[in-house]
Amino acid sequence: MIDVARIDQWASDGDSPLHRASVAAKLLFVGLVVCGAVIARDPVPLALGFGLLLAVAMTIGLPWRAIGFLSLYAALFALLYAVSLRRGAWVYALVLLKSVTPAFAVGMLIVTTPYPRIFSVLSGFLPEIVASGLFMTYRSFFILLDMMDSFGTSIRLRGGFSPGNIIRNGTNIAKGIGALLVRAVDRSSRLYAVMSVRGYNGSMAEHGAGAFTAQDWLPLGAGAAVLAVVLAW
Amino acid sequence: MHIPDGILPVWLWLTGFVLMAWALAFALYRLRGMDRKKKIPLLGVLAASMLVAMNLEVLPLAYHLNLSVAAGILLGPALGFVAALLVNLMLALIGHGGITVMGLNTLLLGAEAALGHTLFFLLPKRLSVFWRAALATAGALFLVSLFLIAIVGTSHVDVDVFAGHEHGGETTEHKEGGTSLAAFAFMVLGLGALGWIIESAITGAVIRFLSQVRPDLLAHRLHAVAGCSTAGKDAP
Repeated sequence: MIDVARIDQWASDGDSPLHRASVAAKLLFVGLVVCGAVIARDPVPLALGFGLLLAVAMTIGLPWRAIGFLSLYAALFALLYAVSLRRGAWVYALVLLKSVTPAFAVGMLIVTTPYPRIFSVLSGFLPEIVASGLFMTYRSFFILLDMMDSFGTSIRLRGGFSPGNIIRNGTNIAKGIGALLVRAVDRSSRLYAVMSVRGYNGSMAEHGAGAFTAQDWLPLGAGAAVLAVVLAW
Repeated sequence: MHIPDGILPVWLWLTGFVLMAWALAFALYRLRGMDRKKKIPLLGVLAASMLVAMNLEVLPLAYHLNLSVAAGILLGPALGFVAALLVNLMLALIGHGGITVMGLNTLLLGAEAALGHTLFFLLPKRLSVFWRAALATAGALFLVSLFLIAIVGTSHVDVDVFAGHEHGGETTEHKEGGTSLAAFAFMVLGLGALGWIIESAITGAVIRFLSQVRPDLLAHRLHAVAGCSTAGKDAP
């Protein structure tokens, strides 16, 4: 289960040089790493780039184990794809690093930047429905997680879970999901109505999230270094 | 199935972005003047429920639910496509990768939602809501899996460019058995089939439950009707 609440806490409470850098610089950092991964034809420079990102994360005190674990999700499909190529260990390593390195960079972005700050930059060029939907998805995610905390307990206490009876369990779980959806829609509708009354029109109120600062040397330098290693190899 | 960055040829994921932009523009055109007060919260909840479902593992099969067809049935094809984009944006933002392939991933997930919705309303009304939703889910997931296999098959066209790597001025290629699209197709369809059954059963039961307690959610009217409630209308 993705612990988005934990990620949010790291992003809000941390005080590393990456936390102090601007959102625009960190988005550029991710872009540079993605470019490096896309153009790499050899796993060695990508492994060096991944090592560099890991070293930066460890040095400035980011939760590098959690970021590494998150980035492994991207490796699942990559592994399946690599097997379909059947080209040997060298290509397997290349495919895995191409998927894991950008995911690790995104991990560094999200544990150092609260989501509303990322959304405020993204909402500048996303259509209004998508920007509003993104924010409501983020809020609803927490509403659903909050409700699911008690769902497992209540389904057991009310006798809705019988070990071995797959059909009965499946039916009860589906009804539970349906009930959660109905309650989440109601809560989310109330939230949107309150936001609309207070003047929400699809854009985030935070200003200056896209401006560069003096602290941007770290993300821009790290991203440029990864791309430079790939280009120079 | 979420495609990560860097493994598909550039021309393929750029094509994905172009097609996604075209489909999104069409969806937004269909959604103009939409009743935002009702639809934006529903969009947010269903996109969030897809994210939550994708992170719940059904033991012992290690299958991750999707609920994209349920979202498509409840939101309609246009809003379902927007939900697919939101899910892929959020997945990229929680470290699952897929920034460059967001176009292709959105097309895949959006196709599940749109196909699921279409099949649900095309299936004969004499079938129960459960069976219509379950069959629509199975059909949509099967068709989208074929779409995924086609994408991977197309990407194999460029495999020599991808797999050949320069090393000390020479190009070394690793060909230990050639590409195997059949192996990939076997894994996706073989492993997917069990998942489709679980997904279909759960989607069918969720939609049946919602049709009983909140039939207005299945009406998916995009525009507010002045002076009357939509509750119960158009419900199957």
